[in-house]
Amino acid sequence: MRALLAAAIGVAVALGVALVMVPLAHQGGPTSPKPLLTSAPAHP
Amino acid sequence: MRRRLSLVLVALAAFLAVLGPMVRWYDYPRVVEVPANQYQTVVLQAKDATLIDYSTLTGVPHQTVTIVQTLKGDAAAAAAEKKRTGRDVVVWDGLSYVLGTDGKMISSIPEVYVFDAHTQEPVHCCGESVDGDPVTRTGIEYKFPFDTQPRDYQYYDPQTRTSAPILYQGTREYRGMKVYYFTQTIPWTRVVFPKTMPAGITGLTPASITALGYQRWYTTTREFWVDPVTGAPVNGEEQHHEELRFAKGSGKAPVTVFEGDVKIRPDYLDATFRQISSQRQLVLGMTTYLPWGAPVLGAVLLGLAFLFEARGRSRGDRKGKRGSVGDGDEDGGARQVPPPQRAPAAPLLGQAVGPLGLDQVDQSEAR
Repeated sequence: MRALLAAAIGVAVALGVALVMVPLAHQGGPTSPKPLLTSAPAHP
Repeated sequence: MRRRLSLVLVALAAFLAVLGPMVRWYDYPRVVEVPANQYQTVVLQAKDATLIDYSTLTGVPHQTVTIVQTLKGDAAAAAAEKKRTGRDVVVWDGLSYVLGTDGKMISSIPEVYVFDAHTQEPVHCCGESVDGDPVTRTGIEYKFPFDTQPRDYQYYDPQTRTSAPILYQGTREYRGMKVYYFTQTIPWTRVVFPKTMPAGITGLTPASITALGYQRWYTTTREFWVDPVTGAPVNGEEQHHEELRFAKGSGKAPVTVFEGDVKIRPDYLDATFRQISSQRQLVLGMTTYLPWGAPVLGAVLLGLAFLFEARGRSRGDRKGKRGSVGDGDEDGGARQVPPPQRAPAAPLLGQAVGPLGLDQVDQSEAR
């Protein structure tokens, strides 16, 4: 019984982690302020 | 203690067994995407190319023709589209800016390319266009989908504004990475003049040059070496050829507008490869390492849990045989009955039985 409970907790945590991963990954930022280039950056 | 460890191992095993497949089949299609706010630049060069001199309308050799290609993610437009349709899209504002050896602008073609952030399918919104003209793309452009398959794709050509197959030509080795090699040939096709013509030539506009009877024709063969995991090209080349032609029957020879083998500048090749290599590991983590590794590790942990449990039980049994009521717990548990204490040795002959003699033995046994 205890083993089943432990497994259920493991499954629940895994589902939680998988679900939380989606909104965390979608944290985008604003558009870059850098312009569309009209000259080639110098070769390093 | 062993029993608690077994339970922790069972929980971890269940966690890993579920997390692996969840990451692959739930998170991967939702999380892996092209960022909506990405900003990237690639500099391409054509060495020993030919470019038109519009003042004389002749093809002139150029030591180096440079094409600066910028793609800037319009995060605000992507967010607005997401709000409207619920779809994750990327809106790329692109600019292909061509410079001659002298650094003067030859052409400047802006683009708005909108696509699904996960699947790379084209999305028709947000001012999708090429050189200011509204277009409706089919197929892919610039990048291939995540998990690129070894098959032909439809690839959008912004010059002809049509899509044509880009052919899968097999697997290649590129800097130790297995990549897919694709080629596309656009046959000679009449295309429109760019809206932005070279500056400094009085009266040169797309309308004026068309009025003189010139037509712009174009052919190209493009090659891509694509990392199939991320779908990002690690290298690309284009044998590009443009001509000014006259209507059939005019008898005038065509004039080369541009002819050259366009390649990515080496420093951008290095930077691109570094970036793709790191992103590839992240994607592989979600598609391969975790989905396969986590369940295997989970199975190992479950085996360990069984092992600890079995050992705990056998120790409990041994102890039980020695006098404890076996409850499976190696440290005895609540029901453990202490073994009977042995009675003190019989008093030596001649020693007097003191106050702690048999009376005390009887009391301890009675407890």
